[in-house]
Amino acid sequence: MSGVIEGGWEFVVAAYAVSAAVLGAYAASVLLRFRGERARADDESERMPSR
Amino acid sequence: MRAPSVRSIALVALGAALLLVGSWWGLVKAPGEVFMGDVQRIMYVHVPTAWNAMLALTFAFVCALFFLLTNAWQWDDRLEAAMEMGVVLSLLLCMQGSIWAKPTWGVWWDWDPRLTTTAVMVFAFGGILALRAFVDDPVKRAVWSSVACIVAFVDVPIVYFSVKWWNSLHQAQSTPQTVSSAFHWPLRINAFGTLFLWVGLVGLRAQVAALRRRGEMAPPLPEKRKAAGRAPVTGGAL
Repeated sequence: MSGVIEGGWEFVVAAYAVSAAVLGAYAASVLLRFRGERARADDESERMPSR
Repeated sequence: MRAPSVRSIALVALGAALLLVGSWWGLVKAPGEVFMGDVQRIMYVHVPTAWNAMLALTFAFVCALFFLLTNAWQWDDRLEAAMEMGVVLSLLLCMQGSIWAKPTWGVWWDWDPRLTTTAVMVFAFGGILALRAFVDDPVKRAVWSSVACIVAFVDVPIVYFSVKWWNSLHQAQSTPQTVSSAFHWPLRINAFGTLFLWVGLVGLRAQVAALRRRGEMAPPLPEKRKAAGRAPVTGGAL
């Protein structure tokens, strides 16, 4: 045994793929929630009684 | 307020672009490490995630303090956003660490001081987010979660110093002094990429929290008419 790790690219690819998936999914969820809240706020302002 | 902040979107785009460049550098251009070989390339995503998870939670702590001192709602919106981002980054940190631990330590997880204190950090801040979801009163929710965040923040410096204070399987902190100069650039680029990404996302997420809170605190509105042109129902006209 040389004490040196050989190979291991599958772990490297997994770590980068998990990072991209988690950050991408979170960014998408924030954008979707923003759209949802904005639509709700627009709907409420539409229902506001006019002066 | 109704449009996503241009600054936040620009920061997210800049962060994503930097992460692409830094990851390419780390995967292709940077040399392998002497003992860990190619597996060490996980460091270019793992270490920036660790720094930024702690930074996001430190920002949450600052927001909690500012909310309690000023009672300004924007600090509660930022607190919610920063805590959520910190929990996402901390969970990602645990996943990346697990993937790195298997080929280097031979196990996916070990209850060593660094990993245990990080797990406590995830559950503590995740618990505060759960608490926020169960409290309907915006005032109580803001005060309780600010106080809980300040208490939970005690664990963040413990996570950072755990590898110095106790014998740990985990390596010491990765800094320019402890990392070879050949690894500096991809590490720095990914660190700034992650920083810009989370700052932009926290800005957007705080806008979501503000919109939701305004809806909660607004007075009740009349029901939406189901059919256009239909007269509203009034009482007493039988």
